[in-house]
Amino acid sequence: MRKLLLLAIVALLPGCALYDAYMLTGFDPNEYLIITQIRTDAGLYKKQCNNHLLASTNAVAISNKTDLFQNYNEQIPHNENGIKASKSLNEIAQGLANAYIDPKSEPSALFCKLKYNSIENSAVVIQHVVGKRPR
Amino acid sequence: MYLDQLQQQLADLTNCGDPVFAQAADNIQQIVEAAKAGQLPPAELKEILLDQQRQLSIIDEMSQLSLKEQLNTVLTGLIKIISAV
Repeated sequence: MRKLLLLAIVALLPGCALYDAYMLTGFDPNEYLIITQIRTDAGLYKKQCNNHLLASTNAVAISNKTDLFQNYNEQIPHNENGIKASKSLNEIAQGLANAYIDPKSEPSALFCKLKYNSIENSAVVIQHVVGKRPR
Repeated sequence: MYLDQLQQQLADLTNCGDPVFAQAADNIQQIVEAAKAGQLPPAELKEILLDQQRQLSIIDEMSQLSLKEQLNTVLTGLIKIISAV
């Protein structure tokens, strides 16, 4: 009876949702480490936005790390949500780095802080989900 | 669409009852006010607003992933129960 009930519950779920959920990857310590580093760096770099030279170096450093995170996610199978999220996070960081790389642009400290807020908040959201994966 | 109308919509969202969207709306309101006060040039304001859209996309993707993970946990539990019967 219990077996039949369980089978009935599984049968009620839509096929695609069932397949997507079943094929999910488990907890990945490398993925978790990189997103934790991005979050931590963003929190630290945010405090250094008033120093233009340091801010410029930091912007390139964080964009390299978000690039790594996107590349890492890219080839993980059944990971469409993770790929899209890592791409959006990388776009936020690349926008910051580009502003410092462009010789015609002189990014304001407020712009720098708001950028790091966006990176930090996004990293927290991703870290929360990545960290909850079954171990 | 005028700026005043958009800011009123932001104010409405601030009181929408959902803490995530209320906080996001409040942040955007502050960013717009900073730009109006001349603290953010238009190019920087545009990039920061685009970032807000990117953050919404990240929240959306992670919400879907979180639901899939919950479903996967249930499936794993069901499989274990069925295997034990």
